[in-house]
Amino acid sequence: MSSRRYVLLGVADDGVFSRLKAEIEGLPNVEVIRGLSIGDFDGVSLAVFPTGVRYSGVPVSEVPTIVKKHLEGDKTVDQRFDGSVLPSTILPSRQKRIVLERVGVIDPESIDEYIESGGYEALKKALNEMSPADVIEEVKASGLRGRGGAGFPTGLKWEFTAKSEGKMRFVIANADESEPGTFKDRVIEEGDPHRLIEGVLIAGYAVGASQGYIFVRGEHSLAIERLKKAIADAKERSFIGENILDTGFSFDIRLVPSAGGYICGEETALIEALEGKRGQPRPKPPYPPQKGLWNQPTLVNNVETLANVPSIIMKGANWYRSFGTESSPGTKVYSVLGNTVHTGLFEAPMGITLRELVFDYGGGLKDGEFRAALVGGAAGGFIADLDTKLDFEGVKEKGGMLGSGAVLVLSDKADAIGVLLSIARFFKRESCGKCVPCRVGTQIITDIMTRVYNGNCTRKDLDVMLDIAYNMKLTSFCPLGQSVHLPVKTALEIFRADFESRCGD
Amino acid sequence: MSSKEMVTIHIDGKEIHAPRGASLLKVARDNGIDIPGLCYYEKVSPTGSCRLCVVKIDGRPGLVPSCMVQVEDGMKVTAFDDEIESVRRGILEMILAEHDDDCINCEKNGSCELQDLAFRYNLGRELRTLPSLLDVVPKIYDDSSPVLIYDSHKCIKCGRCIKACFEIQGKGVLSFAGKGLGEYVVAGIENWADSACDGCGECVQACPTGALVEKPVYGVRVREIDVDRKVVTTCPYCGVGCQLELWIKDDRIVKVRGYDDIPNRGSTCVKGRFGLDFVHSPDRLKYPLIKKDGKFVEVSWEEALDYVASRLSEIRDKYGPDAIAGLSSAKCTNEENFVFQKFMRAVIGTNSVDHCARLCHASTIAGLVRAFGSGAMTNSIEEFLNADVIFITGSNTTETHPVTATYIKRAVLFHNAKLIVADPRRIDLVDYATVWLQQRNGTDVALFNGLMHVIWKEGLMDEEFIRSRTEGFDEFIKVIEKFTPEKTEEITDVPKEKIIEAARLYGSAERASIVYAMGITQHVTGTDNVLSLANMALLTGNVGRESTGVNPLRGQNNVQGACDLGALPNVFPGYQKVTDPNARRKFEEAWGVKLPEEPGLTVVEMMYAATQGKVKAMYFMGENPVISDPNIPHVKEALEVVEFLVVQDIFLTETAQYADVVLPAASFAEKNGTYTNTERRVLWVQKAIDPPGEAKPDWVIVQDVARKMGYDMGYSSVKDIIDEINRLVPIYAGITYERIRNGEKLQWPCPSPEHPGTKYLYKDRFNRPNGLGKFHPVDFIPPAEWPDEEYPFLLSTGRILYHFHTTSMTRRTQALPQYVEGPYMEMHPDDMKKLGIEDGEVVRVVSRRGEIKIKAIASGRVYSGSVFIPFHFAEAAANMLTNDALDPISKIPELKVAAVRIEKIE
Amino acid sequence: MSIDNVLKKFEPLPENLLPILKEVQETRPEGYLTPDDLRKVAKYLHMSYARVYGVASYCSALRVVPKGMHIIQVCDSPACQLMGATTVLEELKSLLGISEGETTPDGLFTLETTSCLGVCGVAPAMVVDEDVWGNLTPDKIRQIIESYREEETR
Ligand SMILES: Nc1nc2c(c(=O)[nH]1)N[C@H]1C(S)=C(S)[C@@H](COP(=O)(O)OP(=O)(O)OC[C@H]3O[C@@H](n4cnc5c(=O)[nH]c(N)nc54)[C@H](O)[C@@H]3O)O[C@H]1N2
Ligand SMILES: Nc1nc2c(c(=O)[nH]1)N[C@H]1C(S)=C(S)[C@@H](COP(=O)(O)OP(=O)(O)OC[C@H]3O[C@@H](n4cnc5c(=O)[nH]c(N)nc54)[C@H](O)[C@@H]3O)O[C@H]1N2
Ligand SMILES: Cc1cc2nc3c(=O)[nH]c(=O)nc-3n(C[C@H](O)[C@H](O)[C@H](O)COP(=O)(O)O)c2cc1C
Ligand code: SF4
Ligand code: SF4
Ligand code: SF4
Ligand code: SF4
Ligand code: SF4
Ligand code: FES
Ligand code: FES
Ligand SMILES: [Mo]
Repeated sequence: MSSRRYVLLGVADDGVFSRLKAEIEGLPNVEVIRGLSIGDFDGVSLAVFPTGVRYSGVPVSEVPTIVKKHLEGDKTVDQRFDGSVLPSTILPSRQKRIVLERVGVIDPESIDEYIESGGYEALKKALNEMSPADVIEEVKASGLRGRGGAGFPTGLKWEFTAKSEGKMRFVIANADESEPGTFKDRVIEEGDPHRLIEGVLIAGYAVGASQGYIFVRGEHSLAIERLKKAIADAKERSFIGENILDTGFSFDIRLVPSAGGYICGEETALIEALEGKRGQPRPKPPYPPQKGLWNQPTLVNNVETLANVPSIIMKGANWYRSFGTESSPGTKVYSVLGNTVHTGLFEAPMGITLRELVFDYGGGLKDGEFRAALVGGAAGGFIADLDTKLDFEGVKEKGGMLGSGAVLVLSDKADAIGVLLSIARFFKRESCGKCVPCRVGTQIITDIMTRVYNGNCTRKDLDVMLDIAYNMKLTSFCPLGQSVHLPVKTALEIFRADFESRCGD
Repeated sequence: MSSKEMVTIHIDGKEIHAPRGASLLKVARDNGIDIPGLCYYEKVSPTGSCRLCVVKIDGRPGLVPSCMVQVEDGMKVTAFDDEIESVRRGILEMILAEHDDDCINCEKNGSCELQDLAFRYNLGRELRTLPSLLDVVPKIYDDSSPVLIYDSHKCIKCGRCIKACFEIQGKGVLSFAGKGLGEYVVAGIENWADSACDGCGECVQACPTGALVEKPVYGVRVREIDVDRKVVTTCPYCGVGCQLELWIKDDRIVKVRGYDDIPNRGSTCVKGRFGLDFVHSPDRLKYPLIKKDGKFVEVSWEEALDYVASRLSEIRDKYGPDAIAGLSSAKCTNEENFVFQKFMRAVIGTNSVDHCARLCHASTIAGLVRAFGSGAMTNSIEEFLNADVIFITGSNTTETHPVTATYIKRAVLFHNAKLIVADPRRIDLVDYATVWLQQRNGTDVALFNGLMHVIWKEGLMDEEFIRSRTEGFDEFIKVIEKFTPEKTEEITDVPKEKIIEAARLYGSAERASIVYAMGITQHVTGTDNVLSLANMALLTGNVGRESTGVNPLRGQNNVQGACDLGALPNVFPGYQKVTDPNARRKFEEAWGVKLPEEPGLTVVEMMYAATQGKVKAMYFMGENPVISDPNIPHVKEALEVVEFLVVQDIFLTETAQYADVVLPAASFAEKNGTYTNTERRVLWVQKAIDPPGEAKPDWVIVQDVARKMGYDMGYSSVKDIIDEINRLVPIYAGITYERIRNGEKLQWPCPSPEHPGTKYLYKDRFNRPNGLGKFHPVDFIPPAEWPDEEYPFLLSTGRILYHFHTTSMTRRTQALPQYVEGPYMEMHPDDMKKLGIEDGEVVRVVSRRGEIKIKAIASGRVYSGSVFIPFHFAEAAANMLTNDALDPISKIPELKVAAVRIEKIE
Repeated sequence: MSIDNVLKKFEPLPENLLPILKEVQETRPEGYLTPDDLRKVAKYLHMSYARVYGVASYCSALRVVPKGMHIIQVCDSPACQLMGATTVLEELKSLLGISEGETTPDGLFTLETTSCLGVCGVAPAMVVDEDVWGNLTPDKIRQIIESYREEETR
């Protein structure tokens, strides 16, 4: 058995990284990986594998102690052990990593490390060896589908955008990531910002755009910082700008932090926000590839979607298709949350089962038995069948939505009603107000769920709630309002008894 | 416009033909299929927010909002089935849950689209399943606007108001604020008063509920169901000629709505909608007054008419007919103007009849008749929508022709038109302009010549047009030659790059339209200015086609008509020259009297003739020269020296104070007749209420005076007058009473009852004898008075949106003075700093004619060295200062340039 | 930095509205955009007041009314809910003596809830101003609040 050990360092640093590096100098088989989401929010955290013991609030001064005791002596340093043991699945080697390939492996703030590890080769290949149409063909052939939730075939979208008439074309990387339970894009932005940039550049080349935007969630300050630096560095190296790498292709990328609001992640609302308006959805059609930003053809893609592109270009569609399923090729970054032993992000091939995710990656239930999982964030559905295949079709078959790949696991002791209440409040808080069914419906559903939660509802309330949610699904202006029905309906199916036990009648 | 391709669709099995691309909801409704919907408003783009209009369409999943769908051939639609209806009922119930349906105290009760639907879907309170959410909907009750009230608890967030303000009025004052259920409509940052809202009321008219309602500026809160009758008539203020619907209750105007017809299509400005209560002012003249011992006393009509007739006869007999001069009125109807000029010519026997057009577009008539043959707007208001380039100069359109301005703004905002503004002031339209040329006042000829120089040098002129349709090019071009961009910049202060940019824009447009008004006409070079603009259109072939032309915006509601019907000293009705023996013979035969041969006196000339003792009596119908004529001190002197002055008005104006007899006239709301708007369109004015006291329509009064003087015109109704006009005025020959009353809105020339009227002039030939347009070489001549050491500031005068001329009407309204109460002077902040004047400080302004005290306001609209004073306000009348120097050809005074000194008051 | 200096950094283009508003707000010690700020921005961008107010009042990161010195936002989304967000909120309410949406009388804290912060891996979580705190327990919450109070008294 290899005795290779890893130290995973969280997003915070405070000088711990360089100290660690210095301390392990000469120790065999130890590797430091940093910038990883290891669930750290109390100062600097690090986790030591194989055990997965996590330390929190580690000051630089204690680094030597940890190295000495734990790495050389294999003993846990109790004072800083925060009680969490991380799963080995968090280790890059245990996952199938494409978009997270470099996350934690390279220094995200070093363009050199990115380039040394093969970065920007795909861009070079695309620009030098492929026509825009070739690029689109390759992406089409790869079967890549949008990771923003809807799973629309990416190559097709690129083709529509490229073929639309316009004075100018735009590419927007949708990094507004606000779906509850979802933080995969942030981890990419924080851990491997150049990958996203490279994806945007290739997309821009393919669709004939000259301006790119990365619309990033305003709260993600570390991601913003790193993207800012990455863009500046890429400009300096002539990956962004006029006549990129002397190929005649010119493309600029601007970073725009959002000012808050889940709905601003909806592509047309995002475009409105970019134009300096209230981020409320526009009617579709026309779709952004026809008329987007400033009414020009615009490609909007999710961060994870774009992050797949460099690998597809480098290694080819066939390689990409060797992962995942026929209808959903490639990998997916899932998040496992809730009542599992471990929580966090895992990149795995599309189509693993819910069971694998919960038990292999999540380490099983912390307390109690598996009851159901909310798959796809707030806009997803509750699923009780552990054999559900986690790809676009698989989840759909079970009446749910893969969405962003967020999986919230509920044990039989979990308060499903509280979860649905928080979903209702989420939609109420995030409803933009434009259309009646969603503006009013989210409030009514929240009011009813509050009564359910407080145990003073009636059975009629439950019917009204379902009716309203169904009406919203049929008539809401945009997917936000339309998607409320799914969690409500599936919750009522799976947890009917819990709900009824709260009713006074 | 190309006719739309028709498609066939089926709605609930019914076969329907409709133009491709039309809104499915509209098509359905037009065909009697009443799909519900609250956010759809035909005049604006669909919003799709209420979701009530959902239908099923074969081949499309789920429910689709029909307002957002454009019809396509073969579409099969289910508009009504149980499922859809139940979904709709559910949505409607949601709307009611966030609505305060206190219909019992709501102005919309009875005419509310939401109420109607609630009734239709049987959603009485006890039948609803959803509780009220009003406690979580923010309550915003904003009554800070002088004219409207917003109540968020009545607002269904349909967005119609927001879109109406932007897409119809071109303003974009409104927005939603907040989010989710907390969404509501805002105008300013703190409230409505804190916004650029100018009170046009388009948003109120668009609102389907009681969320936006008019303030009771007409004195009472009324619901539509309370109204006794609605009367469609024409606005009495400006020359746009908006069609208004007056809501009448107990013989009072209680509310006004824009009527959906040409030319305004339902829009109005703040004056037309909220400024008609002057009609009911207690100040209205109700009885004839005779000044006895320096005081006015009420007398009977009999006494007043006898007195007027005998004094006028006396003076005519003693001094000759030319000792009497009359001012007719651009506020009065066509028929009244016809009668008045007939009275002056046929009864008094003089051609000395004129009216405010002299101060206004006299130079337009002089210039355009010379260049094209007729002195009117060549094209129509709606044509602006399809122009590629609109060149606006000397017209503050958003304030003075507000509804015309909406077409221009829409052309720019939604039809890709480019706007060039050439104006010394930063008027609102500058915000919509591609290029703004800020010339020094009074340098227009140089500017236009400079533009034409570039057009010519760059070969942008229309040579074929010049060859086949014009004359005089060669002499003309010689003058243009010297106006290089450099030289033009020197004279006008406009950077040469901008001159070139504007010239290229105008010169390369397919359809370019020139729009102008007082900034061009009111100069001693007014006629030259107009000729120069005409040259520009001829040079580029931009006349005689749709959406092109030279378009003087006529100011008063009926100034076009007053001119057309001969209230001018040199022409009979229809611009038939008094010096033309054939014309004279025709009118002599018709009227049975000998008519004077020499042209009469113009406005300013009359005043001088009075002080020189040549004019002894004057008869003013609906004019207020004591405020509106230049050089007021001199006007007052004239009115004091004349032996006899008759003033016929609706109020006891500053001018009426000087009168010997004051005759009470009926206002526009109290009489029938027609106005001709700026685009030569004859519009019906409908009597809505009875005049106050014993006031009478002007034509009745004038006919009565004539009768007392022994001449019976024999009219028993307005129709009789129109019949006579049809007979005597060829351009009006086909605009018959019957056609007008049938709702036809005809544009002259309309030579016969079958003729459809003329949308734009000079399609095939110009109206000059040889049918050609004529270039005129015009060189730059500076204004009569430039600033100098003694009077270092350039004074320009003009108008503001909220007041009309001498404010006889606008100050007698509730709403308008709340926007602007009184006089002020716009002054550049740098100049104020130099002179140590604070913002809002009262200063003394002195010219060679007189002085006034006025509040100075810091303003970025004027350039340093110039000031602007609205001439409306008697207490600081700009015309105390203005120069009455005249344009030698048209006799228009130079109201736009005078030199003044500004003094601090210690 | 005065608002004029912020404006100077941006071209007067409509798309700069959001960045400008965010940056102006950051310069405001009271943490919100005053009516005068909004007017200035509107004038600078040649926009209607309503449009600027409409945007400012729409975005959750922008504020048009004064709030406490520190804004505590407790995550109220499913993962945190499942892991005890209700307890967190209750703890904060009793600690601060205010309800959701209110500001403490000393103006130090405003308590709000928010949608998922994207740190669900450490649910339940909250954010104070810009700092994210995860794995919250009543004890930890007390410490956090204490540290902010101390910082203030220093
Ligand atoms: N609200 C309102 N509307 C009105 C009226 C009213 O009193 N109130 N009156 C009506 C009447 S009768 C008329 S005639 C029209 C007049 O309508 P406008 O002519 O539009 O009104 P003004 O304010 O007189 O001046 C028009 C513009 O001329 C510009 N100007 C000044 N000097 C010069 C110059 O030397 N050259 C050029 N090119 N421009 C110059 C001014 O800056 C101003 O923008 O308005 C009509 N509409
Ligand atoms: N300094 C300066 N002076 C100017 C101008 C300028 O730009 N600057 N502009 C000039 C221009 S363009 C114009 S058009 C003139 C306007 O000058 P005027 O025509 O003198 O101004 P109004 O105030 O419109 O006067 C119309 C009168 O008619 C009355 N009236 C309204 N309706 C009726 C009716 O039905 N019957 C009768 N009998 N009377 C009625 C009103 O009460 C009012 O007293 O001002 C000119 N004076
Ligand atoms: C309410 C709502 C929020 C959304 N938020 C996001 C988001 O944060 N990030 C994202 O990539 N897509 C989001 N989407 C989906 C986008 O509209 C869009 O489909 C996506 O960015 C397309 O990228 P893809 O094709 O790469 O998936 C959201 C959609 C809705 C309806
Ligand atoms: S469904 Fe309607 S109210 Fe809800 S977010 Fe979409 S547009 Fe806004
Ligand atoms: S807006 Fe309509 S429904 Fe509402 S209270 Fe008024 S009349 Fe009734
Ligand atoms: S009154 Fe006119 S300007 Fe004012 S908000 Fe309404 S539509 Fe806009
Ligand atoms: S005020 Fe009237 S028009 Fe405007 S959104 Fe509310 S209900 Fe609609
Ligand atoms: S634009 Fe002119 S005609 Fe129309 S409502 Fe206003 S004042 Fe009357
Ligand atoms: S009328 Fe179609 S959505 Fe409102
Ligand atoms: S649910 Fe609380 S951070 Fe995601
Ligand atoms: Mo006029």
